[in-house]
Amino acid sequence: MFRRVLGKTLGFLGYTVQYGCIAHCAFEYIGEFVACSGPSMEPTITSHDVVFSERLSRHLCRIEKGDIVIAKSPFDPHMNICKRVIGLEGDKICTSGPSDVFKTHQYPRLPQPTLRPAISLKPITVPKGHVWLEGDNLRNSTDSRSYGPVPYALIRGRVCLKLWPPHNFGALNQSPTGRIVKRSD
Amino acid sequence: MDCGDMFRRVLGKTLGFLGYTVQYGCIAHCAFEYIGEFVACSGPSMEPTITSHDVVFSERLSRHLCRIEKGDIVIAKSPFDPHMNICKRVIGLEGDKICTSGPSDVFKTHQYVPKGHVWLEGDNLRNSTDSRSYGPVPYALIRGRVCLKLWPPHNFGALNQSPTGRIVKRSD
Repeated sequence: MFRRVLGKTLGFLGYTVQYGCIAHCAFEYIGEFVACSGPSMEPTITSHDVVFSERLSRHLCRIEKGDIVIAKSPFDPHMNICKRVIGLEGDKICTSGPSDVFKTHQYPRLPQPTLRPAISLKPITVPKGHVWLEGDNLRNSTDSRSYGPVPYALIRGRVCLKLWPPHNFGALNQSPTGRIVKRSD
Repeated sequence: MDCGDMFRRVLGKTLGFLGYTVQYGCIAHCAFEYIGEFVACSGPSMEPTITSHDVVFSERLSRHLCRIEKGDIVIAKSPFDPHMNICKRVIGLEGDKICTSGPSDVFKTHQYVPKGHVWLEGDNLRNSTDSRSYGPVPYALIRGRVCLKLWPPHNFGALNQSPTGRIVKRSD
């Protein structure tokens, strides 16, 4: 009888691993459901909204300006951020944020989550392989204006559908901020 | 047996075959994602520890459990090309103070590694594009930790310590 129970348990574990792997690959290559929190994307996405983020655009490198993306936070590998792509590599961004993100900064002994920006009004060119992310709620959003351009490889997926709350179900709105960089010559 | 039957049998077998392929493809993908992967290195930036065309095994568990330490050799996604990977050594973790001036500079400059980032350098300091040119790299770009050299066979085994002496000592 012990052998039967062991056999059934191993069989059950085998099925769990098998379908777990298939589910993981579905979430990895097709899309995932994301519950958002925080005010940085209002009014497009409010706290506790549930959205569907598809992975195909990211894997096929088809993320475009104006897309809302889920990305890994540059400052915390366990957290994700949800922002809009304002500029792609090569675009010039007008901002009073940090001009030389990786060069000169004064950090206190224990670095804080946000960089202390050097006020600069000259446009920043987004480096190769990076994107410029900003929240729709410009007054209440920590984004590339404080931490600089984000490597494209940190992007997880593109938000394409809002699922919850039901009265807001459907595609997401265009950027309300007018900050998206026009096509460069 | 008429054509309809034969067609249905072929279709059935094809779908069954595809089903098995998807199933075992997913299991293999998860094995590479969570256990480890084989990496063929190219380029001179990690000589003499790793030379071009060496094959190494890069384990994923340290990365997922956040156990990457100073002195580890890691495979990471390139910050400048999402399709390329880089293989460098971790010189400093978040909060460490890195000396960014050269050994011949009179005025020493320093930089702190921000939260959630690491400082990567190749072992071949003269021929390596690393954090000294592109700055600290977000921890989330790290894919895995190189733990074993598999090829060439006469060099099989664990990898050497850093030959450069650049690893940041434990800060107070």
